[in-house]
Amino acid sequence: MARIELVNLRKTYGSVLAVRDLNCVIEDGEFVVFVGPSGCGKTTTLRLIAGFEEPDRGEIRIDGRVVNDLEPRDRGLGMVFQSHALFPHKTVAQNIEFGLRMKKVPRDERARRVREVAEMVRLTPLLNKLPGACSGGESQRVALARTLVTNPSTFLLDEPLSSLDAKLRRELRAECDRLHQELKKTFIFVTHDQEEAMTLADRIVVMRDGDIEQVGSPMEIYAEPVSDFVADFFGSPSMNLVSGEIVADNGAPRFRSPHFSLALPPEAVGEAPTGSVTLGIRPEHVRVQREVGAAADLTLPVRLVEPLGKDTLLYFDIGAERPFIAVTEGLALAELDAGERVGLTLTRDRLVLFAADGKRVTRHPVGARQ
Amino acid sequence: MAEALAGAATGTAAPGRLDASRSKAVRRFKWMILSPLLLMLLSLLTPVLLLQLYFSFHQWTVYLSSWWNADFVGLDIFQSVFTDPRFGWAVLRSLAFAGGSTIGCFVLGFSLAYLIYRPFRGQALYYALFIVPMLTVPIVIAYTGQMLLDRSGPLNDILSRLTGHDIQVLWLSNPDIALLTVTLLDIWNWTPFSFIIMLAGLSSLPKEPVEAAQILGASSWRIFWEVQLPLLRPVILLALVLRFLDAMGSFPIIWGLLQGGPGTATETLGIYIYITTWQDFNVSLGAAQSYVTMVMMVGIVLLAIRLLRREKRSLDTMYAKPQEAEETA
Amino acid sequence: MTKTRRRRVAAAGRYAFLTLWAVIVVFPLYWIVSTSFKPSDQWFSWPPVYFPSPPTLDNYRDVWIGATSVAEGGQTALSLQTPFLALRNSLILAFGATALAVLYGSVIAYGVSRYRLLSETRMFQLLMLRMVPPIVIVAPLSLYFSYLGLLDSMFGLGVMYFLTSLPYAVWMTKSFIDEVPREVEQAAEILGASRWRTVFEVVLPLIRSGLVATFMFILILNWSEYLLSLILSKTNIVTLPVELSKFEGSTEGRLFGRQAALSVGITFPLIIIGLFIRKHLARGFSFGMVRR
Repeated sequence: MARIELVNLRKTYGSVLAVRDLNCVIEDGEFVVFVGPSGCGKTTTLRLIAGFEEPDRGEIRIDGRVVNDLEPRDRGLGMVFQSHALFPHKTVAQNIEFGLRMKKVPRDERARRVREVAEMVRLTPLLNKLPGACSGGESQRVALARTLVTNPSTFLLDEPLSSLDAKLRRELRAECDRLHQELKKTFIFVTHDQEEAMTLADRIVVMRDGDIEQVGSPMEIYAEPVSDFVADFFGSPSMNLVSGEIVADNGAPRFRSPHFSLALPPEAVGEAPTGSVTLGIRPEHVRVQREVGAAADLTLPVRLVEPLGKDTLLYFDIGAERPFIAVTEGLALAELDAGERVGLTLTRDRLVLFAADGKRVTRHPVGARQ
Repeated sequence: MAEALAGAATGTAAPGRLDASRSKAVRRFKWMILSPLLLMLLSLLTPVLLLQLYFSFHQWTVYLSSWWNADFVGLDIFQSVFTDPRFGWAVLRSLAFAGGSTIGCFVLGFSLAYLIYRPFRGQALYYALFIVPMLTVPIVIAYTGQMLLDRSGPLNDILSRLTGHDIQVLWLSNPDIALLTVTLLDIWNWTPFSFIIMLAGLSSLPKEPVEAAQILGASSWRIFWEVQLPLLRPVILLALVLRFLDAMGSFPIIWGLLQGGPGTATETLGIYIYITTWQDFNVSLGAAQSYVTMVMMVGIVLLAIRLLRREKRSLDTMYAKPQEAEETA
Repeated sequence: MTKTRRRRVAAAGRYAFLTLWAVIVVFPLYWIVSTSFKPSDQWFSWPPVYFPSPPTLDNYRDVWIGATSVAEGGQTALSLQTPFLALRNSLILAFGATALAVLYGSVIAYGVSRYRLLSETRMFQLLMLRMVPPIVIVAPLSLYFSYLGLLDSMFGLGVMYFLTSLPYAVWMTKSFIDEVPREVEQAAEILGASRWRTVFEVVLPLIRSGLVATFMFILILNWSEYLLSLILSKTNIVTLPVELSKFEGSTEGRLFGRQAALSVGITFPLIIIGLFIRKHLARGFSFGMVRR
């Protein structure tokens, strides 16, 4: 059993408040991902849990027991570091068995367990190599094995895939997933990559400037973001965000921006009927029609066409900083020429409005493809 | 010329033209850099070494006017060097001094570096203070030592006050402890050197393996012994070797403080050679002694080079980037 | 013991040890300074005087300005008036030889770093050359120099300082040059710079702080150098350390106060310089044994 509770955690570095009154519960066996931009406090939180940093205030509890005063080695945790942190002068096998030696496990059993774990992560041919001779992916697997073999109740992973190239990252991601399902232990994973968060997590904790912005399952985070920050962070390509204001037009709410205006269904507006807002619509909810008809919400020339194979991305300039993006399936629209005008329609029940403070005001879910 | 043009036309690289002119330019560049040095070494070192060799085989003392008329005496002078017990003692004293200084500097320097390398309040001040002895001119240390270590000097005074006994150690006039005294002064002088080298080594150690070891259950001692120390071996060796070699040739501190005395208590190799050559004016004996010393030092130096290179190699393998390490998955 | 208690005990122990060594470091220096301000009756009194009362500038005046009222014969009087000369000589020799050694040494280091001018073996041999005690060649050296007329000359001693500084100069600057990415030079080459120009206008400016650190370290060595200057100088080019040793043979007893005043002048400029470059010292001292 390894239920971890973070209670009112606060950590300051000099004048920087890294973690701000954090409260969070991580259930036994969960795969929790802490995600957010650089400097949001996710790594600090992980290091507080591990015991490498001491909180200024608050408690860390493992299975109900307060562990603030315990050294990292007494907390029963395992950790994988971003730089894999292997001992460069020891062989892979010596690296893996290190934790067992510290626990004074007898030699035969050590050798056996090392072999088992090496099989589990497919490292057997590398056992006598030095870390310097291993590639990035291999090194990270050694780091995993080194932690695995000690059988901790909880695994802490600090951006373990960030130093790998895209292909390796996907492979090791699958590896982590597989391990979690096999071992059924608690995994606390820190990353800045929203894709990793979405694919690996049972629950995502979105952090921003030391605070928790939102906690939820990947679906909840994607479909019901609590703020424009969360909505923007998740999803690739990101949600289109257009600033404007809500005006009453003969009693019906209307969204008006310098670039276009739109009649809004009343349920989209929620509790903030007037004022400045940000309109959000995910690229996959923007329908593109080649034939310019009156039915389109806006008609714009295509600036850039990106055929990706599975989808095609279309970029439009609506006069804002970021381009307006629409995603269409397949390569049907891949032959569009830049400058060609097309009609765009925004799916009404996928529209979302964010108030001036960033909080979402629409009540219905805004994510997930049809 | 034709082949080059033909090569250019077809787009294939005709090997030679660019490479040849580049390597010629590089060679000229290298030659231009190195020649002044070679010239200086040749015009200075070679005659001096030959002269020294000459004196080892020809008996000459300064009173005789023309040195090129000195008598050839074969290996006699060398023989007298090897049968001279005073020379043997000088060698032993040099080794003791150098060894003592090296170990002392290392133990102190490492301890200080280890206590300091992680940030804490006052770190900068301590660091600045600890460097200072190395910046002090050795001859000044010697003469200051004379003032401090006098029988009725401040050191004995402080020790007396601290312990309540009347302490009157004869730091400078007791032949049994004179060598120790001068070794302690040398340690004071050069600890910062080892300190800085070890500090550089400790600071360059990667932090994350230490944390990984912590969470895997290792105690601080374990971590030091198994994770940090092995990576520090090259740096430690460097600190030891450099200090030892330097201490073997130490002159100003010993000469300034005691001139090899009392008696011959602090007569190390360098001192003995100096006395032989410039006080006894026995140039030939001094020359032979110098050659023996040179050979000995070269031997030690070669050994040191071998050790250091081995450490550098192991560092290179540990930190090598795997060029085309294939995924074995 | 809880974590915090253990931490506090360890911290106290650490401070105790560090402060002890700090006191050991500072005390001799304090002694020199305080002695330099002592009137002559307090130079070697028993019990030792730790704080001069009243402090006086006589020693400084006598040593550095040379207005001595003590009547002494020949040798001693002469030595008391030459500290300034020795200062001048030390300045010229130390700064000049060091500057040239760093300049030339960094060019050699560049050749080694980029073009394998010297093999690894040769590099180590170069360093070890410096390690053989200079005493073993000073005798024939002085004879050789006297024939060349270089004895007691700035040039002669300067050349020796230059040569003995080179190994350190090469090794230390090489470690700095190694850290400059090759692309920078390749960019210069494509833009038309010759090799020499690349060295002087691109690479060396980039390692400015490393050059300064190297310069200061070698300066310390040359400034403190004793043996070569003792043997190879007679009257013209006495350097400060040799000048100080003249107090040893002084006929009027130990002039501790004046000796201290001279020592302060010799030592403290160096300490100040060294403190300025302390941030860079560690980088230059790795000799290839430290990886970042």
